[in-house]
Amino acid sequence: MTTVTEFTGGDVAAGAGRGSVGIRISGLRHSYGRNPVLEGVDLTVAPGEFHCLLGPSGCGKSTLLYLIGGFLPVQHGTIATDRGPVTKPGPDRGIVFQSFALFPWKTVLQNVLYGLENLGVARSERLERARALIDMVHLGRFADAYPSQLSGGMQQRAAIARTLAIDPDILLMDEPFGALDAQTRRVMQEELLAIWQKTNKVVVFVTHDVQEAVALGDRISVMGANPGRITQVVSADFNREKGSNVARGVEFNSTVESVWEMVRHEATVAEKSSAREPGSR
Amino acid sequence: MMPGRIAQTLYKYAPLVILAVAWEAAVRAGLVSPTMLPPLSDVFKSLVRLFSHGAIFGHAWSSLVRLVTGLSAAIVVGVLVGLLMGTWRAAHLIFQPFLNLLYPMPKSALIPLMMILFGLGDTSKILLVFLGCLLPLVVNAYNGARGVDTKLVWSARNLGAGNLRVLTSIRTRAALPDIMNGIRTALAFSFVILVNAELIFGQDGLGYLVGSFGSLGEYSSMFATIIIIVAAGFACDRLFQRFSDHLLRWRAV
Amino acid sequence: MSPAGSRKAAGFPTEAVFQVGAILFLLAVWYGFAAGGKINVFLLPRPGAVFQRLAHDLANFRIAEDVATTLWRAFAGFVIAAVVGIPVGLAMARSAFGRWFFDPIIAVGFPAPKIAFMPIFLLWFGVGDLPLIVLVAINCFFIVASSTAAGAAGVPRLLIWSAQSLGDSRESIFRRVVVPAALPQIMNGIQVSVPVSLIAAVGGEMLTGGIGLGGSILSAGRMVDSVGVYSGLVVCLTVGFVLLKLSELARRRLLHWHAESGPAS
Repeated sequence: MTTVTEFTGGDVAAGAGRGSVGIRISGLRHSYGRNPVLEGVDLTVAPGEFHCLLGPSGCGKSTLLYLIGGFLPVQHGTIATDRGPVTKPGPDRGIVFQSFALFPWKTVLQNVLYGLENLGVARSERLERARALIDMVHLGRFADAYPSQLSGGMQQRAAIARTLAIDPDILLMDEPFGALDAQTRRVMQEELLAIWQKTNKVVVFVTHDVQEAVALGDRISVMGANPGRITQVVSADFNREKGSNVARGVEFNSTVESVWEMVRHEATVAEKSSAREPGSR
Repeated sequence: MMPGRIAQTLYKYAPLVILAVAWEAAVRAGLVSPTMLPPLSDVFKSLVRLFSHGAIFGHAWSSLVRLVTGLSAAIVVGVLVGLLMGTWRAAHLIFQPFLNLLYPMPKSALIPLMMILFGLGDTSKILLVFLGCLLPLVVNAYNGARGVDTKLVWSARNLGAGNLRVLTSIRTRAALPDIMNGIRTALAFSFVILVNAELIFGQDGLGYLVGSFGSLGEYSSMFATIIIIVAAGFACDRLFQRFSDHLLRWRAV
Repeated sequence: MSPAGSRKAAGFPTEAVFQVGAILFLLAVWYGFAAGGKINVFLLPRPGAVFQRLAHDLANFRIAEDVATTLWRAFAGFVIAAVVGIPVGLAMARSAFGRWFFDPIIAVGFPAPKIAFMPIFLLWFGVGDLPLIVLVAINCFFIVASSTAAGAAGVPRLLIWSAQSLGDSRESIFRRVVVPAALPQIMNGIQVSVPVSLIAAVGGEMLTGGIGLGGSILSAGRMVDSVGVYSGLVVCLTVGFVLLKLSELARRRLLHWHAESGPAS
């Protein structure tokens, strides 16, 4: 069991004094049975970077995320963080899913406490940290509510709080705002950026929404399907200077347009190649 | 069947073989008295005797006829009522209270009533099977009809289908998985209620045989008949599953 | 699978009205046919006669004795089935060996008419409560075990992955995540087992006779006492109905966090 020894009381949100961990992926290939899902993925994510995996469905972006998380066994190639090679799930790589995956029989508070209990944190400290996180995601009044009583946006915030509670080095997010309506999504994006800037973690964020990727990411891996692979890595680090507000300026829009073109091109190519080989899926 | 498939099936049912061996060993080793539990080998001998003697086929046929009659009637009535209830609120409001009364009633309690009303012959048994099977069919057809995606119904209406056509072509097909589930449950229920009835007031049939062998002290024949009943129930369930899977092959699993 | 389990928003008073209406309708039909004299009073005794018998049997505690006996057998069998069935179901979901060993047993046993084994139980356990308790236990075991196995095996993998990334170990995850997540399905099995336990007990009593709801109705039938048969049916119906409502209540309590996504259907 991974023990996070650098924890100090009250440092939950700051994650202070800990250099973030990077990710190194090389030569990664993955198949489900006889279907190739990922081919020749090489990627380096720097410490403290917000990295987006962008692509249409079928490009393997979620699979890549699950491999980093250690939920799928690595078949070919290597994935490593500064802690060592990735072989199984662990609290150094927290994950947030699109469907929230909150434990429905536990309240928000109990959900957030879950990871802290696993790490063996002392009882009073657990409660303190859990409540601090719940307040940070603006769910203070709903700490004792059950997930079924909360809206989608609130559930997602609870899920984020739960993951942040164990202070993972790396935050893996699988289209976390996909199930939310447009307004809530925008609010959540800004809140996520604020949290990220405060905690300085590595974030790997999967999405199929170009605007979202450009708004959030420092760098974006544009992925293509058939077979799943990273086609280009684009820089979008004008975000850093903007504080917690995502201003939609000229740079932003031009980046969105060029990335959009890349994605469109990839989707057309993928369509042609899958049409050429019937039954190849 | 390829040898691979045979090996696979053997592996799947191996625990039963192990239990069978344990049965034989326990009796042979004197752990259990043979009057309480005849050795499996004796039971097999009785099984062979029953089949070669031939009378058992007559009994099996009687049971089968009762089962099929009662079950078919229940399927027709039950699925229809369930679909109606699922489609029209009025039907639901009318029928539901009666089903609520039928549900908690142990169907076996109706056996003496049927004896009084319809005598000791086939009619009472068929009626019992009918009543016993009705509920799972109605409930499943109801759930199936309710679960039909409203958009499917709207699309059909949009394409010009009238109420009856919508009911038959769309609702029934879409409810089919639930209906098949209901039939599977009803099939199991039908076995139970028929055997129960035949045990109590049968003059022929497999259930009657079990009771008869028991009271005559011919225990290995009794066990043999029970094995036939269980095997028949299992085989019917499996066959129905195959049929149902084939019928529903359009479903993504 | 309770047809009464639907919790429609505006439906409650309407449905209660229709329920009462249906009962009154049946009573009216009964009175009508019996009073009309067209039907043989033996086949369909007058409601008055049946209620009189009920009152009489209530007063001399015969009904209480029958109900208590049957319920005791049903309850004992049910408890045994739950105590054995839930761990077996969990073992089936947890270990490959558990799954391999119990799968064929449940596949063959589930659809089998367990009542056919009653003569064997009578042979082994003699007369009295034990053969009936065993019959009930075996009937309910298959239901509980297979529901539990289905529930535990069907826990969404994202919940398990979340637990793993939150630092939990495999054994601990089974206890803290899989079991609670499987609880609705387990409760389904338990809930279906409640009426089944009554049905199995009454069914078995039909074969053994003696004291108990099934035994009383059977004796009435044998003695061609139709009033007795009808009054016995009324008692059975009432007991079954009460059991059903109690189990629905228990489910709502235990699964209060499940909110609207819960009723057994």
